[in-house]
Amino acid sequence: MKLSIDRQIYSDACISKVVYWLSAQYAIERTLDGTIETLSISRNDGHPFDETELRSQCLRLLNDYKLRQTIDDETRDIRTILYAKAFADDENLTVE
Amino acid sequence: MKYYLLPFKFTRIGDHEVFVNEVGDMLHAPIGTAEQIVNRTIEDPELYKSLVANFFISEIRIPALLDVYAERLAEKKRFLDDYTALHIFVLTLRCNQNCIYCQASSRDEHCAASSMSRENMRLAVQHMFKSRSQYLTMEFQGGEPSLEHDLFLYGIELAEEINQTEHRHLTYVLCTNSINLTDEVMATCKQYNVLISTSLDGPSWLHNQNRGKQDSYEKVVKGITKAREILGADRVSALMTASELSLNYPIEIVDEYHKLGFTSIFLRALNPYGKATDNADWEAYTNRFIEFYKQAFEHIIELNKQGHVMIEEYAAIILRKLLTPWCTGFVDLQSPAGIVNSVLIYNYDGYMYASDESRMLAEENDFTFQIGKLSESYENLVYSPKVKEWSKVWNNEAIAGCSDCALQAYCGADPVRNHSTQGDLYGFRPTSLFCKKNKAIIEYIISCVIDRYDELMPIFRNWIR
Repeated sequence: MKLSIDRQIYSDACISKVVYWLSAQYAIERTLDGTIETLSISRNDGHPFDETELRSQCLRLLNDYKLRQTIDDETRDIRTILYAKAFADDENLTVE
Repeated sequence: MKYYLLPFKFTRIGDHEVFVNEVGDMLHAPIGTAEQIVNRTIEDPELYKSLVANFFISEIRIPALLDVYAERLAEKKRFLDDYTALHIFVLTLRCNQNCIYCQASSRDEHCAASSMSRENMRLAVQHMFKSRSQYLTMEFQGGEPSLEHDLFLYGIELAEEINQTEHRHLTYVLCTNSINLTDEVMATCKQYNVLISTSLDGPSWLHNQNRGKQDSYEKVVKGITKAREILGADRVSALMTASELSLNYPIEIVDEYHKLGFTSIFLRALNPYGKATDNADWEAYTNRFIEFYKQAFEHIIELNKQGHVMIEEYAAIILRKLLTPWCTGFVDLQSPAGIVNSVLIYNYDGYMYASDESRMLAEENDFTFQIGKLSESYENLVYSPKVKEWSKVWNNEAIAGCSDCALQAYCGADPVRNHSTQGDLYGFRPTSLFCKKNKAIIEYIISCVIDRYDELMPIFRNWIR
């Protein structure tokens, strides 16, 4: 099965996370042509699989990881401040 | 709609999207809500208020109560301030049972040269007091530690002596099969207020089969009765280990604990160490254990509904993480991991190990988690290059597969398990059975909180009180 993904929509990190979770059951080859990444997917055990179901699962995972990446990107600074306040032994860490 | 996102994670459980913030507070909403939150199109005003009130979003860039939130985060990781609190002393590998699932590679009770020397006990107790924790738990394990009464007593007396000047809060725990609770052992337990942690696998036929003895059950129950009479019922707890055979009998096991007057049970899966590694198919075992857990859990709920107190301890730990602001102190579900941070092992062989499982691996000639000889200095041991190397992989906030997981706040990192089952410390979550089991049970408990709130929350509140 082949799945084409536009890197302008889904980042390398998002795609890598999807590949990571699928790799328990599937062998996935990644090729990049311009902004289009193609995943060539086959079962590790060689058994047939439901391509429609897997395509749907991939898109769901991609969308979830894209949302998570947006949350991470938008909250990186406040998270750093939060952890610094929680764990740095520095009473001067006060937000002005 | 103008607001700022705060850090949170999300997953789907059943028909819900579940959101978890940095301190483990959980909210749930219909599927599709995460997208609404990120795209600033939240339709439900009540949900919006909850998200603001619970630090998922903020109407100003820096929330006014950020300091409060930071203090709550620190409280969730307070175990780090406590330093190593649990100190396990493996007195001997000698044992008077022959459990089919023994994870400690115990040896015959008459076997020589498998007990700790008095000199190593002295060094171990001195190391324990080097920890800065104000609360020190000295846990005696084996083999069967009651077979080494003199050493057990010597360790406690040494600790008491040193504590004359240290003034720490000391707790003693004897992990015993309760078969050898002689008058001598019980006198020591009474004198020093030692807690008894015993193990009982279920009804007599099941327990005896697991223990490889015909009369183990009768002896264990006799020992438990004696310990309760001398120490008080609240000083004796028991846990079970689910052998492959046990997985067929969730109801019978719970009923046995209830019949014997226990008010709690810890439904504990086998770990892949010692004789337990003979188990043929760990994936099948894990799948069966998850079903076993759910059936036993539902039966425990029924007992509670009938007015009986019966707590499932694993669920209680998850519920405390989910519903209270406190950390639990349970070293198996912790990030940074329990190894070294919260637990150290002083083994009968004169070496310090990173965890109970680490010394079990050593019996299979895998010394990866052997920290060093007890004769070395505490600083050289706990700040060794080996320990520093482990620290790179002991945070689930920073390892692949865990860093994005919405259940991260309730789970933990386990480099020892990763090493023993997957061959590397970092681990691979898509095939990790530790991940699979914990995820399935935590999701089940969360679904209970969400879908059966009115039915189960009165019971759960009692469990975490």
